[in-house]
Amino acid sequence: MKFSTKGRYGLRAMVDLAVNARGEHVALCSIAERQGISTNYLEQVFSVLRKSGLVKSVKGAQGGYILAEAPSNIKIGRILRALEGPLSVTDEKVEDSNENETSIQHCIRTCVWDKMNEALNDLADSLTLEDLVDNYWKMLGVEETMYYI
Amino acid sequence: MKISTKGRYGLEALVDLAIHSSEGCVSLKSIAERCGRSEAYILQIFLILRRSGIIESIRGAQGGYILARDCSQITVGEVLTALEGPLAPVACITHTTEPICERYGRCETLGFWESVMNTLNDVVNSITIEDLLKCYQEHKAIEDNKIEYYI
Repeated sequence: MKFSTKGRYGLRAMVDLAVNARGEHVALCSIAERQGISTNYLEQVFSVLRKSGLVKSVKGAQGGYILAEAPSNIKIGRILRALEGPLSVTDEKVEDSNENETSIQHCIRTCVWDKMNEALNDLADSLTLEDLVDNYWKMLGVEETMYYI
Repeated sequence: MKISTKGRYGLEALVDLAIHSSEGCVSLKSIAERCGRSEAYILQIFLILRRSGIIESIRGAQGGYILARDCSQITVGEVLTALEGPLAPVACITHTTEPICERYGRCETLGFWESVMNTLNDVVNSITIEDLLKCYQEHKAIEDNKIEYYI
């Protein structure tokens, strides 16, 4: 049970953009370099993010990407749904076949899959990009202290 | 991020076993028939569940499978983990020996993925096979009532 590379890399790239933007556009190649992801692949990811209204692009020599909204307004759930589709632990095919399901399948769906999906979506929608950026700084802060000791 | 057919069909077969085990051990053939899966596939799943100590096999003419413990003592989390491995949304958080990613320890999103795994584990570890059995009995009672009503 894994998220795809698109979701994983896309989320990392969004945190990178939030950390490094500071009001200016960030070149895709600089994100690619810091994250160790190919620029080609990031272009695909950012094209999806742009269409979903999560980032804005500016063309030209000083061009690049910027977040479309403040990090505190961007829920993680929105980023992941844009990149992965609905956040669900079962296939859409399974969810669509409710009419033909057996009693056992009905119980497993309502007691297990629906509960897992609810928890997953609640978690992803309770956190924003700002929370991930804050955690990132905290993580680096701890590391620096350890180095000095 | 999806649960595979092994996890889905395995959980169905196990609930079927729990439903019918009041009459003694249950044959693989009858479970496969009721669940609409091949016997070979259910056998493959049951070998894993047996190795994980969730079910036991009884040999002989009247042989078959039984739950290894009371159904209130078997969690859905245990069953899914046996069939699917850890419910990890990314590979790097379950790699115990050495980091598989050079970004481990300075990754921007690792903490988030860990909380996804913890959240999903909390959900599935809080549901037992007994809960599913109760849900099944209630659902079946409603369905049976519907049929009587039509007659």
